[in-house]
Amino acid sequence: MAIQLSKKMQDFTQEVFPAIIGTNRKDGSVEVVPVWFEFKDGSFWINGGTTRGWFKHLQRDPRITLLLIDPKQMFRWAQVEGRMIDWAEDPGGEHINHLSHRYFGRDYQNPRTGRIKIQIEPLRVTGAIDGWG
Amino acid sequence: MAGVKKAPALTAAVQKLAALPILVTIATKRTDGSVQLNPVWFELKDGYIWLNSNTSRTWPKNLQRDRDVTMLLVDPKTPDRYAQIRGRLVSMIPDPAHEFIDRLAHRYTGKTFRELEPDEHRVTFKVQPVAVTGQMI
Repeated sequence: MAIQLSKKMQDFTQEVFPAIIGTNRKDGSVEVVPVWFEFKDGSFWINGGTTRGWFKHLQRDPRITLLLIDPKQMFRWAQVEGRMIDWAEDPGGEHINHLSHRYFGRDYQNPRTGRIKIQIEPLRVTGAIDGWG
Repeated sequence: MAGVKKAPALTAAVQKLAALPILVTIATKRTDGSVQLNPVWFELKDGYIWLNSNTSRTWPKNLQRDRDVTMLLVDPKTPDRYAQIRGRLVSMIPDPAHEFIDRLAHRYTGKTFRELEPDEHRVTFKVQPVAVTGQMI
């Protein structure tokens, strides 16, 4: 069941750095990549193209782990175990453009077509931000 | 991981990134198959990635069980430049005199490692890179 993030964690999610996500490949290995994210309305939201490996993995196994880490002070980190609960097309790339503004303060520079947004519910948080759990 | 071939040579760009005192994010699998991510100290030396941990932590247990680990290095200045390195545990080397963890501590903090806890046992993991993908190659 989804959990509510602590105040400390909610504040941490408002900082601007990519999330590192881990998903399960079919062969049992793990894919790890950095992605843009935002935390809003109790969920994590990421954006990608439908051809991305990690999205294919999530359709088969919705479990996803996110590592949030401050690149300037790397002892500040949190691990979020979560699950994809929904995904939807991102018509006109509104969501990716919104994320581009969060990260760079400007419109998204690449094509906005063929994009999807993914909703992830947090199930468990561990790491240095919330205590070690 | 069946059919592992000769380890690829890491590109100059990846080697340069690995020389920085940044943490590597390592992904291991828990017994239930879910993914565990941890940022850890590391060193790239002689073509291998070297990690060190306290044996009571979860990720070393995952790594011993599975032997597979995926590692991510992200350029701290340009986060869309990254290297994803799939690796295979080659050997585990006990570090009773905490020589290797001291070496890592020097790399990251310029000092020797803290005093070990009474029941703390350090172990070094030698990981062979198997495949590299990402925006840096």
